[in-house]
Amino acid sequence: MSQTLGLVETKWEGPLVSVKDVYKHFPTGGGLGRGAVVRAVDGVSFEIAGGETLGLVGESGCGKSTLGRVIMQLQTATKGSVEFEGRDLTKMHGEKLRQVRQRMQIIFQDPYASLNPRMTIGDIVAEPLKNFGLGGRRDREKRVHEVMRVCGLNPNFANRYPHEFSGGQRQRIGIARALVLTPSLVVADEPISALDVSIQAQIVNLLEDLQAKFKLTYLFIAHDLSVVRHVSDRVAVMYLGKIVEIATSRDVYDTPLHPYTKVLLSSIPNADPDLEVQRKPILLKGEIPSPINPPSGCRFHTRCPIAQLPICAEVEPLLEKKADGHVAACHFAGKL
Amino acid sequence: MATVVPTTLEVAEERQIVGADQLPEQVTLWQDAWRRLTRNRMAVIGMVIIGFFLVTAVVSFVWTPYDTWRQALGITYSGPSLAHPLGLDDYGRDILSRVMGGAGIALSVGVGASLVASAIGIILGLLAGFYRGKVDVLISLLINISYGVPDLLIALILVVLIGRGIQNIILAISITAWLGMARLVRGQTLALREREFVEAARSIGTKNLKILSRHILPNALGPIVVQATYLVPAAIIFEAFLSLLGLGVPPPAPSWGRMAVEGYKAIQIAPHIVLAPCVALSLTVLAFNWLGDGLRDAIDPRMRR
Amino acid sequence: MNLTTEFGNAAGTVRAVDGISFEMDPGETLGIVGESGSGKSMTALSILNLVPEPGRISGGQILVNNQDVVSMTSSELLEYRGGDVAMIFQDPMTSLNPVLRVGFQIEEAMRAHSRFDKRQAKERVIPLLQRVRIPSPQQRAKDYPHQFSGGMRQRAMIAMGLANEPSLLIADEPTTALDVTVQAQILELLKDLNRELGTAIILISHNVAVISSLCTRVMVMYAGRVVESGPTRQVFDHPEHPYTWSLLRSVPRVDERRHERLISIEGMPPDLSRLPSGCKFHPRCHFKVDRCSHEEPPLAEVAAEQEARCWVLMRNVSSQAQALKT
Repeated sequence: MSQTLGLVETKWEGPLVSVKDVYKHFPTGGGLGRGAVVRAVDGVSFEIAGGETLGLVGESGCGKSTLGRVIMQLQTATKGSVEFEGRDLTKMHGEKLRQVRQRMQIIFQDPYASLNPRMTIGDIVAEPLKNFGLGGRRDREKRVHEVMRVCGLNPNFANRYPHEFSGGQRQRIGIARALVLTPSLVVADEPISALDVSIQAQIVNLLEDLQAKFKLTYLFIAHDLSVVRHVSDRVAVMYLGKIVEIATSRDVYDTPLHPYTKVLLSSIPNADPDLEVQRKPILLKGEIPSPINPPSGCRFHTRCPIAQLPICAEVEPLLEKKADGHVAACHFAGKL
Repeated sequence: MATVVPTTLEVAEERQIVGADQLPEQVTLWQDAWRRLTRNRMAVIGMVIIGFFLVTAVVSFVWTPYDTWRQALGITYSGPSLAHPLGLDDYGRDILSRVMGGAGIALSVGVGASLVASAIGIILGLLAGFYRGKVDVLISLLINISYGVPDLLIALILVVLIGRGIQNIILAISITAWLGMARLVRGQTLALREREFVEAARSIGTKNLKILSRHILPNALGPIVVQATYLVPAAIIFEAFLSLLGLGVPPPAPSWGRMAVEGYKAIQIAPHIVLAPCVALSLTVLAFNWLGDGLRDAIDPRMRR
Repeated sequence: MNLTTEFGNAAGTVRAVDGISFEMDPGETLGIVGESGSGKSMTALSILNLVPEPGRISGGQILVNNQDVVSMTSSELLEYRGGDVAMIFQDPMTSLNPVLRVGFQIEEAMRAHSRFDKRQAKERVIPLLQRVRIPSPQQRAKDYPHQFSGGMRQRAMIAMGLANEPSLLIADEPTTALDVTVQAQILELLKDLNRELGTAIILISHNVAVISSLCTRVMVMYAGRVVESGPTRQVFDHPEHPYTWSLLRSVPRVDERRHERLISIEGMPPDLSRLPSGCKFHPRCHFKVDRCSHEEPPLAEVAAEQEARCWVLMRNVSSQAQALKT
């Protein structure tokens, strides 16, 4: 295999990704004068260490996918910075930014929508190599076949089109495309939620194998807490554009500090009938508020079972260290 | 079902290859569309008619029974005979030869104008849809203003200014015919650029030009082909209309439109002079419309899945 | 209620559901679990005699409240659907008319049947919305479906389903499109309705945990067949069919103590037009023996009330199963 196509060692020692006070607001569009803005991501900071898997969970509309795209620079941050291997991506443009894309990749949720139906899967997987002029035609082909094999795809089908494959196979194609450049960071945006149950485990196991093999760092975005817990070293919980809690995977589940985390956990039904009878779901009142006009103070206070007025409605709790490696944004952390 | 193939990437364990033998026979999207097209009777009839006129047109460039411009081959206005199967016109020219030559002109004008208009429309549509913002505002403004001016007026002025050569006629028609194509491509591009595979292309560092040519254009090609097909008969009719106003392809070239205009003066004594070019014109126009309809149905993405 | 279903159901020549039998007692909760193409939704639609063209019920019998559903006339079916048996779907938006007020649609559901007269129907709307815990039902009844959130729409659908006091409610993936916290609310609601009204519920889901939370009995489907059935507790604690076993272990558990590798079921669910010979699951089975590839096992009793369609049974391969997990 040619040198240019191999694993690239990083010299950077600090956190691989460091997100600092990132905002992403979308104009609601239309109307006269200044329209309202959707506060999809509203002041978020965290770091991802090299080689770890950070899980990002939250319900639909909490901004987790937008955050993933802001990190990937597929969306530009309204405010704040995203440092990747020590360089601020939000200050990069054009060719410079394009070059960084060799080192970070994204896996999409919908394996039907994320593959160009007019390209063969061989071309799809080879495209990143072509974009950066890596290797000759023969090298590229060899590399594409290798990556396909590693991802559990038969290289003989490189000349086939995406519509000929099942959902799980297409997701493997998407993974192969993301890995062909051997990136250091992979953002996986709900990579299994569109797949059949029996296929989900295949993809989860594949992602875990690939991480071990290629020393990948994952940002694993999902709404399914059990999957996130399974794959992640650390978990960040999002609610209405804010991160409410970050802790190790074990702490988040064993000693959740934020009431929202606790509610989420109690909501998941358990396949084990004995544990299921013991589970007492904490039911939330009302609906998730609109990100156009989020509640004052703590965003969760309108639905929180332990909210106390006036403090929760007036003072926004900061994401503070509550225990070793465990941060939460709540005035009454751990009280539920 | 599952075969085991070891990888060459120094992988310790062997991985199972999923669905190794399960893929059905390969059918590309275009092959699929072609199959549906050939099952559409009207489309097939359309293709046969187009094929016939195409061959006629090619033959007419090298051979016609008589020279198309040669006059006084017999008694003027005489009807069909063995020597002149479609009869002679008011100048005593052979109508069959002229209809054959007319096919060449009609198809050149039709296909030529369609190609030129499509090229302009595709490029401007892609740019407007992809870059949006100021580029889009400018191009959309151009489109909307042009729509406001009658295309016949623009064509007339242009022909008067640059003359009536066949290339000029093609240009005069294209100068307004691209608008629909541009609108179509702009709409397609606006929709496609939001699709996830375009976002995926950006995430792997694909340059804009490549995104346009490799990801957006191929996926818009279906409707483009349909639209381009419909442009052909529209251009043929437009040319006939220009001829009617005396501004089409200059005489003695045997444009079908001109033949019909010249013949109609004598319609009461020699209807065949009008009939022959009109039938040819109608058949060609119909054939292209049938083909366009067939293509539209064959390519329709809703049929997939 | 006594429901006996036995049908082979043909969509073209494909058997989407192949010879399924089950009975349900009044007020029972039955879960049907399976992946896409397993025939779980077709089974539900068959109970309503609502199999989409070109499919048809090609054999067997479906008895609901001692009425034979298959031989019903179309007017009888109109009264039966939404009357004796109601169904709610994954996406409530497709079942609600976007241009009519929610309250009016619930009223219509009753007017279409003969159980309640015009006045009663009008009066019942608000209590029904209350029953499914839609806050301020007076105002909400005047809203249009798009003004409702996903969870509220599903509640409205449930209200509509309950309007004629059916003895059976079929819920086809009712929470799949919803967030976990909303899912928890809907599941609690269904539980309460079952308890308070005694409505029997068939819950169809790909999610074993959702089934576990609501249903006392479960039926696991694969390739149009029932591969295992029994009391949920029994089946999920001691699955005997390898498919059930793998399914339970292919999803990570929230309470996972240490990182275990997920059991992955290799390959894909089979194409119904090209089913394998023998046991339909054998190409993907971790525990298959020779016999599995050429002889299809019958659904046989493996424990009290528990049936499985397998030659091997998980109890006989426990050490092999243990090895797979590590």
